[in-house]
Amino acid sequence: MAFTITCPICGPRSGYEFRYGGQDKGPRPDPAEMTPETWCDYVHMTDSCPGVQKEWWYHRAGCGIWFTIYRDTTTNLEVSPDSPEAVA
Amino acid sequence: MFGLHKRLWAARPVKSSYDAVIIGGGLHGLATAYFLARDHNITNVAVIEKRFIGFGGSGRNTAIVRANQRTQENLPLYKEALDLWPELTRELDFNLMFHNCGNLNLAHSEAALKAMRLQVASAQFLGIDSRLLDPKECKEVVPALDISGRPRYPITGGMYHPPGGIVRHDAVVWGLAKGCSRRGVHIHQGTEVTGIGFEKGKVAWVDTDRGKIRTPRVLNAAGGYSAGIASRLMGLRLPISVLTIQAMVTQPLKPLLHHVVSSGAYHCYANQTLKGEIVTGAHMDPWPNFTTQTTAAYIKHQAEFVTEFLPCLKGAKFMRIWGGLADMTPDMAPIIDGHVPAEGCFLDCGWGYFGFKSSTVTGRYMARYMATGECPEILQPFALKRFQEHRLMGETAALVDYSANN
Ligand SMILES: Cc1cc2nc3c(=O)[nH]c(=O)nc-3n(C[C@H](O)[C@H](O)[C@H](O)COP(=O)(O)OP(=O)(O)OC[C@H]3O[C@@H](n4cnc5c(N)ncnc54)[C@H](O)[C@@H]3O)c2cc1C
Ligand SMILES: [Zn+2]
Repeated sequence: MAFTITCPICGPRSGYEFRYGGQDKGPRPDPAEMTPETWCDYVHMTDSCPGVQKEWWYHRAGCGIWFTIYRDTTTNLEVSPDSPEAVA
Repeated sequence: MFGLHKRLWAARPVKSSYDAVIIGGGLHGLATAYFLARDHNITNVAVIEKRFIGFGGSGRNTAIVRANQRTQENLPLYKEALDLWPELTRELDFNLMFHNCGNLNLAHSEAALKAMRLQVASAQFLGIDSRLLDPKECKEVVPALDISGRPRYPITGGMYHPPGGIVRHDAVVWGLAKGCSRRGVHIHQGTEVTGIGFEKGKVAWVDTDRGKIRTPRVLNAAGGYSAGIASRLMGLRLPISVLTIQAMVTQPLKPLLHHVVSSGAYHCYANQTLKGEIVTGAHMDPWPNFTTQTTAAYIKHQAEFVTEFLPCLKGAKFMRIWGGLADMTPDMAPIIDGHVPAEGCFLDCGWGYFGFKSSTVTGRYMARYMATGECPEILQPFALKRFQEHRLMGETAALVDYSANN
């Protein structure tokens, strides 16, 4: 099955044009309140549950933009941000 | 006539309590159960397997074993693992088909050779046979290699590791299951762990789709699913990304490859089975996923790159392709820990695409950890807290992030 990613600028394109940028973990922790735990959690830890996750992508072989999508990791299919499964 | 065949392992009713419950009937789970029974007389043990034993990576890997890793923490574990195959073959009375044909890892640049020099020295320091070869010597070991200037990345040398090779992975699954069953361990296939319960800061039970089981010890050895189980059922996030990794075999050919040959620059490896098929494997999918689907991109990559250094394989037909899951950590070393997040919870995961070779020895030490409550010294470097303490292991020269061409 072909894997397609929708770039906000170029539209739906082959997944191989893109570079995966990791699970979207929200804003970087505030340095003033940062502990080794919160930093480690932000840098390294992931949920790694099969299912829908919000994640970063980079259109490497295209327009060069960074953006987020929701994707079901059990099917490699994009999920609309409005769908009930799409919770960050 | 069929009645004469005795099942290798017995199906038994699920009890309401066990001294230890192991999540995952892969090699790490089965080995731990086996050594709990063999070395510690803890036989009231259940291995809970969602599908069937060997369903995960344990039945899908390309069966390569070796002990020429990079770091002082990893090498001793893998060395013991290599020494264990003949012993287990005897003890389990089951032919594990250990074929120590040797591994040749190719270098395609001066930089790669330099890195190999360090790696060879580390192995030799620990008494492991590992040697640096020049291109001509590589060709003497594997005559099918193209050592000319023709390939895009010409061969500049190699790291030769004679004691490594291939072990029949299914046989290890079946042999250990047989050994477990003989010693009283229960193997419950078709049973899924759906919850883990805690009481007073200790693990107290697991929920399964066949009922609740009380137990003071739980091991999470669910391979590609272990990080999800940790985050959903144990409340513990792990530094793990799960990616599909694929492998293929060709039609049977006359004997032409008597070693395992691998190339980091081309991201692939190949060896010939005793039946004559060439088994090849390569890098993982460029993005995390649990599909285990096979892809045309992978077939193309594999055909193109394997024939760069083994041009005689051009025109050979691929017969089968399959995929499995690799649970990868940022430093290419596993997470082995105990009493996290609560007393009685044990972890053995993050084995990526290299956890077959180490499964039996890790099981032996994990069994000791679970039986005594004390972490054996050899496992201590693999604790989860290394990520928080910035003591990542140097199994890979740089932090790994799971995307193509990083
Ligand atoms: C294509 C491929 C090639 C590889 N090649 C090599 C190689 O050449 N050399 C090498 O050393 N390693 C290799 N590996 C890696 C190796 O296969 C794995 O690291 C190893 O098998 C992990 O074993 P395990 O017992 O930890 O997990 P698995 O064998 O994955 O077992 C985990 C089990 O847990 C079960 N499970 C999951 N969730 C639940 C639940 N909720 N309840 C109950 N059970 C559950 C699963 O069904 C599964 O059977 C390869 C892997 C792949 C996919
Ligand atoms: Zn674009």
